[in-house]
Amino acid sequence: MSDTAIRITDFYFAYLNSDLVLKDINLEIQKGSFTAIAGPSGAGKTTLCKAMTGIVPHYYGGRYHGSVEVLGEDIRGRKISEIAMRVGIMMDDYESQMVSLTAGEEIAFGLLNHGFSPEEVDKRVSQALADVGLPGRENYQLDELSGGQRQRLLLASVLACRPEVLILDEPVSALDPDGARSLYALLYKIYQQHRMTVVVEHDLNYLLPYMTDLVLISGGEARVQGRFEAAARAAFAQEDLRENLPELWLVKLGLEEKYQVRLGSWRTEEEAEKELLQKFQGGGKA
Amino acid sequence: MDKPIPDLITVEAARDTHRWVAMTALLLAIGVILHTISPNVGGVTPNWTIAMYSITISLTKPGPTRALGIGFVAGLTLIPSSKSAFPLGNIASELSGALTACLLVKAFALAHLEGLKVKPFIIGFLATSVSGSVFTYILKLVLGLPLTVWTHAMLPVVLTVGVLNGVVTQVLYGPVRKIFFATEGKRHE
Repeated sequence: MSDTAIRITDFYFAYLNSDLVLKDINLEIQKGSFTAIAGPSGAGKTTLCKAMTGIVPHYYGGRYHGSVEVLGEDIRGRKISEIAMRVGIMMDDYESQMVSLTAGEEIAFGLLNHGFSPEEVDKRVSQALADVGLPGRENYQLDELSGGQRQRLLLASVLACRPEVLILDEPVSALDPDGARSLYALLYKIYQQHRMTVVVEHDLNYLLPYMTDLVLISGGEARVQGRFEAAARAAFAQEDLRENLPELWLVKLGLEEKYQVRLGSWRTEEEAEKELLQKFQGGGKA
Repeated sequence: MDKPIPDLITVEAARDTHRWVAMTALLLAIGVILHTISPNVGGVTPNWTIAMYSITISLTKPGPTRALGIGFVAGLTLIPSSKSAFPLGNIASELSGALTACLLVKAFALAHLEGLKVKPFIIGFLATSVSGSVFTYILKLVLGLPLTVWTHAMLPVVLTVGVLNGVVTQVLYGPVRKIFFATEGKRHE
């Protein structure tokens, strides 16, 4: 059985009244990975996310070439609502995805529309709220929740459908740095419960501790992709892609280049500090 | 060298299949409430229901069959609160009004005048005038009134309400459009 969860082959896409937004995308995202998609603003990251769920081109319309396979099935001709049960997506404009008055109703909406029994809905609503750290908030009005809590609520409503793949488009765009770190820590916990995760994020510093794979998009093309370390090295080698890398890795790869050393695969500042002290201060030989 | 771009397949945007129902139901419900509570000033009051379906038809651009359905439901909603001698006349009048609004929307599109600022006023005014004329003519027939009563007493009132409704339609069109078509799929990278 293939380990590829999402396979995009020779994919080109343009909205009905636009130039090409995605060009010659050939991409494989592996099952069990935590993949970050990064790139400058307007690179086509959001459109790529939408292509993975069939929203592009089937909802917005447009012109395309190529194929998108999700979990072994070509999504052409599939209903978006069917795909949504296997691939959950949280858009960057998360408020626009909310439709109900209370937290419980918000989570139940998608489940009820798919014909789940009221007992199953209640069970999943409670579970999903607990999963995102909002236990017992079923009867809270949406305006009683803070921005960060509403974002968690939307994540809960996606999780309640128990999708096999979770796609999040700039999920922390409206949060302060502490809120952003907290949401990603939560997301990592959810990922560890065997849910494949794809996150679009322009600030990779937040994702450094968690991501296993990296895709860098620029000008509508997937310029770099693969396991994080190899992809980061490939990006560092291309001047125009460097700025997308996490700051810690810019330092690491810069040091490696300058001093011709090989440093560890840093994921946190503590790891970096420890190794640097050992190598450059503690008498270690570089 | 750049790879040549292959031939692209064109896919039409998914059509909204249900929003028009929600929108029509909501606006007609608002119309019924306003119709029930609006005071009668000098014998004239706006017909909120006609204004509401004029807006919904302008925004959702239904075909004639769907417009007749909207008119039929609108007529039904008016019967319980009707103080007229022949409440069932509302069905015929609203069928005519909704069809008028639908044909006007199509005519504006054919004439490439969809962006005309006063389009909602014209649609509200003419839909109300046609609907009111049909309703009052039925009333004339039912009550056996002379034609001059219809032409000299009833039609001027119909036209006055038509102008009032045109104004209501024009004023409400913008906010309703904003509420229901806030994003229109334009938020994408």
